[in-house]
Amino acid sequence: MRISELPEIGTKYEIESPKGDKVAVIFLTSGEIELYVLEAGADKPSVTRLTSEEARRVGSVLTGAMLTIEREDVEVSFSEIADLRINIHICPITEDMEGKSIEDLGIRKRTGVTIVALSRKGQSIISPPPETVFEEGDLIVAIGEREQINACQRLILGRG
Amino acid sequence: MTFLVDLGIITVSCLALGLASKYLRQAAIPAYIIAGIILGKSGFDLISSYEFVEWLGKIGIILLMFYIGHEFNFKGIKEPGRFFAGYTDFFVNFIAGFLLGLLIGLSLLEAFILASAVYISSSAIVISSLIENKRLIYPEAETVVWLMVFEDIILAILLVVLTSIMSGSLAMIPVSLATTLLLIVFILVLIRRLSNFISPLFERDDEIPILLIFALIFGFSAIAHLLNVSEVIVAFFLGSALSGVKSFKKPFGAIISFKNLFLTLFFFSFGMVFQFQFATLSSADFVLALLALITLSILGKFASGALIGKRLYNSLEAGLKIGAYTTPRGEFSIVLLAVAIGMGTSISELLISLVIAYVIILSIIGSFFARHGNRISKVMVGSINKLTKQKR
Repeated sequence: MRISELPEIGTKYEIESPKGDKVAVIFLTSGEIELYVLEAGADKPSVTRLTSEEARRVGSVLTGAMLTIEREDVEVSFSEIADLRINIHICPITEDMEGKSIEDLGIRKRTGVTIVALSRKGQSIISPPPETVFEEGDLIVAIGEREQINACQRLILGRG
Repeated sequence: MTFLVDLGIITVSCLALGLASKYLRQAAIPAYIIAGIILGKSGFDLISSYEFVEWLGKIGIILLMFYIGHEFNFKGIKEPGRFFAGYTDFFVNFIAGFLLGLLIGLSLLEAFILASAVYISSSAIVISSLIENKRLIYPEAETVVWLMVFEDIILAILLVVLTSIMSGSLAMIPVSLATTLLLIVFILVLIRRLSNFISPLFERDDEIPILLIFALIFGFSAIAHLLNVSEVIVAFFLGSALSGVKSFKKPFGAIISFKNLFLTLFFFSFGMVFQFQFATLSSADFVLALLALITLSILGKFASGALIGKRLYNSLEAGLKIGAYTTPRGEFSIVLLAVAIGMGTSISELLISLVIAYVIILSIIGSFFARHGNRISKVMVGSINKLTKQKR
């Protein structure tokens, strides 16, 4: 990897594959990131300009980190009320859920689980109303008892 | 309240022409100068206070040089390849411009100004064209970026030399040169000493950081003025001194916005003040000189580019690309001329109109060359190969 400073432009990171293909990442002073790919023998490079958020996503896909993001369970207990334990479940929605609302899916009715928050494109919606329609890439935060969460896993998310 | 009318006219006309030039994918600098020419003294004469607009324009030059000084990178330029590229570019193009200046009957001083204008490419146009035309992956592009840095140092040196020469009698030259250098050293040392003290001030969220920067810029400009040193040089070295201060990055974004605004006003004011002698402009001599100048400076950049490409990449094509990318001339040629005019020495109208026409034409032709640099250099290499084959 070659790193070079480009005054007034930014910093350039460059990798050349054994075949002679070149990939360069340029961190512009504006904060955006340009990704260059120049195939060996090609006339022109292909270039795309990414925001830092997008670049981070591409970066985590490349390192394989993205694959480890899956379901996550957190159990919260309260010192005041000894027998109250709440299971908080965070998971990405499945393709079947896209375009349907919380009401359509009957999440509460069928499993007893309540969706308390929704994370969409880095912004969160706290206590989404029942008519909220899911979109691709949404993360849901659900609470319920262990059995209810399991039911939700099975019936809504279609997982084991 | 007439200054509001002036400002209204200027900002609206620059906005309209600036937008039009961006839409046509042209450099905006000539558009602002042309706006000034049309609305100013040689055009409709719509501006009521020329002096006021000129003052604002002066702030533009100071901020530009401050910005260049800040972006300046002393360390990287010492690498031998970059250094070779830098001085090849300087010698070929400066000498070509100087000789042509003498040939068309300019004085030594004027030929020096013309040579500087011919030598210095427009880093604004060159760099934005490298990004827009997606050239950053090529090694030649890096050389071009460093060439621009090298040109910035030479610009600072040329300005020091030029303002010292112009400061008055022959005996005064060493005195003013010494004053300038002393003031530069004073600024560099002072800022380094105070760096721990001013660095926390830059981190504040109120008006203090920007106020501090302008206090430094105008404060030193005032000292420079009293000592009869060019404020432009002072701004350059102040910028480079401050780039070493921690957390200066934070308020710097605001400075860039101010620079962009006031520099636009500068280009307008430059076009506005100058009285074009349309009779001279259409004279055969003038047109001939202009054409010679344009041809020579395009050939000059291709020649220096070819030498650089041969040496660094052992490739004529890479060199011709460097030549094409660095063809655009612009802001610095005008700034140099403006600084020279500002020193009060009389400069012939011929030179001023020559440089204005030259910059307007070469920023447009230059953008074209920079955009199609790869194709142009390929065609040139092809035809050179054909010629050499025929000889055999």
